[in-house]
Amino acid sequence: MLNKKSKYLQIAFNRSFSEVKNMISLLPASDKIIIEAGTPFIKNYGVGGVSSLNYWWSNKISGPVYIVADLKCMDRGSREVEEMAHAGASAVTCLGLAPIETINEFIKKCGDVGIDSMIDMLNVEFPFEILQKLKKLPNVVVLHRGVDENEKNKEKRIPHEQIHRIKGAYNDVLISVAGGETLRDVIRTFFNDSDIAVVWKSFYQSPRDTAKLAQEFLKLIK
Amino acid sequence: MEQNNPKRNSLLIQIILGIVLFAINPALGIIYIIFNLATNKKSFSDKSPNSVFSNFLQKINQLQNTSLTKNSFSQNTQEVSKKSTPSMALNLFNSSDQKIRLQKRKKYLHIALNNTLEEASKILYQLPFSEKFLIEVGTPLIKTYGTGAISQIKSMVPTGTYIVADNKCADLANREVEIMANAGANAATCLGVAPIETINSFIEECEKHDIDSIIDMMNVESSIEVLKKLKKLPNVVMLHRGVDESEFSKEKQIPYHQIKQIKGAYNILVAVAGGDTIKEVQRAVFNDADIVVVWKNFYSSSSDTANLAEMFLKKIQ
Repeated sequence: MLNKKSKYLQIAFNRSFSEVKNMISLLPASDKIIIEAGTPFIKNYGVGGVSSLNYWWSNKISGPVYIVADLKCMDRGSREVEEMAHAGASAVTCLGLAPIETINEFIKKCGDVGIDSMIDMLNVEFPFEILQKLKKLPNVVVLHRGVDENEKNKEKRIPHEQIHRIKGAYNDVLISVAGGETLRDVIRTFFNDSDIAVVWKSFYQSPRDTAKLAQEFLKLIK
Repeated sequence: MEQNNPKRNSLLIQIILGIVLFAINPALGIIYIIFNLATNKKSFSDKSPNSVFSNFLQKINQLQNTSLTKNSFSQNTQEVSKKSTPSMALNLFNSSDQKIRLQKRKKYLHIALNNTLEEASKILYQLPFSEKFLIEVGTPLIKTYGTGAISQIKSMVPTGTYIVADNKCADLANREVEIMANAGANAATCLGVAPIETINSFIEECEKHDIDSIIDMMNVESSIEVLKKLKKLPNVVMLHRGVDESEFSKEKQIPYHQIKQIKGAYNILVAVAGGDTIKEVQRAVFNDADIVVVWKNFYSSSSDTANLAEMFLKKIQ
């Protein structure tokens, strides 16, 4: 489980098996790094992909690992959660755009099987309103700007101002911010009081840069 | 001219070689000249047939290319774009087992498989064969087994069956469409609630891979509003009521009235998801839906499965 007083760097993987394996070997071994199985990765390799990530990463850091399965659940909340928990995921994601019934069912099921629930606020205008409608709060709220959005529409921004609003109203919720790529973005996210920063893109452009980014991140939070 | 030069050179070399050989041993020289004459004749007489042959090869290649659906598809899309009616694309191709596309003016029964592969094989085993059936590899199957689910289900059905990959894309559309198309799906789905940029890139990418694009309007209040914002229309719009929604709040209705609304404004296929009894199937067809998506009854008992499918086939004839 995540420690509320710590900061985490979450790295998402979306490529083929061999590439991902290689990239994981480049990362510095630290339990402050969260490994995410990206949605395309899951849709390509299924639960097998998640358990391989778990295996590779736990070999690398030789201790308990935190793996996020980015399910982006939209319906059948309970069914998908169970599969991923079995495969070794420590947290799964559900879309904030999903019907409220699905999100409620999703959070409940996550509690039942003992993993963290993350609500991904991709394309949600007012994440706050979604949280208000829920029966029970999720463990993590992901503030997110989609990759396709990012590329085609430069003026959309990561909603940093939302972080304080959510944290002010809901004390127990961790905030994760996805969409930044550079060390500066990561610092900015943490400066704005986010708990988790998600990166992915720089890895494909230059894996070594991300490894460096991870190291600098580790220095930063010490 | 450039081609002649090396030939002249080689002739010169041959003559010099002949003279040298003559000097060494006349007999060897004579043998060399005879051999050379024979080969030269061949190459000269070959000259024209050779080019004919290469032309022939080129033609064969062209023929093969044009007979491939890929090429005919690109031609068709050109025609289509000239006429600027995207829906035409649907009528134009229904050949080749890989690239079956949906056709207009036909009714389809879309059978969603969501639980396990074992169960899927049981259901598929009972189905009568019909081109009117679309087999969907559901989101849970894809998330559990990955693309393996698609190839497994493909192996359970007769070749030429239309396979829908319900990947419910929300981001990174190009990557997901590529994965699904490579796995052999005839159509992929994208969420209507996803960012517009994602839906646009999804439709574009589907066209590139020659598969049908389905936009799933689950939890979208006004499907028309989403369609209006798009650069290009998808092949199919799916009106959807989620399983969780239907179970936990009974009062939410399948938006039948939207079918007419969408079909009136746009020339695209409309699929209705969320029903699971023959009554609901009838109702959807009656309300002018082109594709009816069913799931629950297909698991609950085997006789229901075959019954519903057969009744559907009777109804639409």
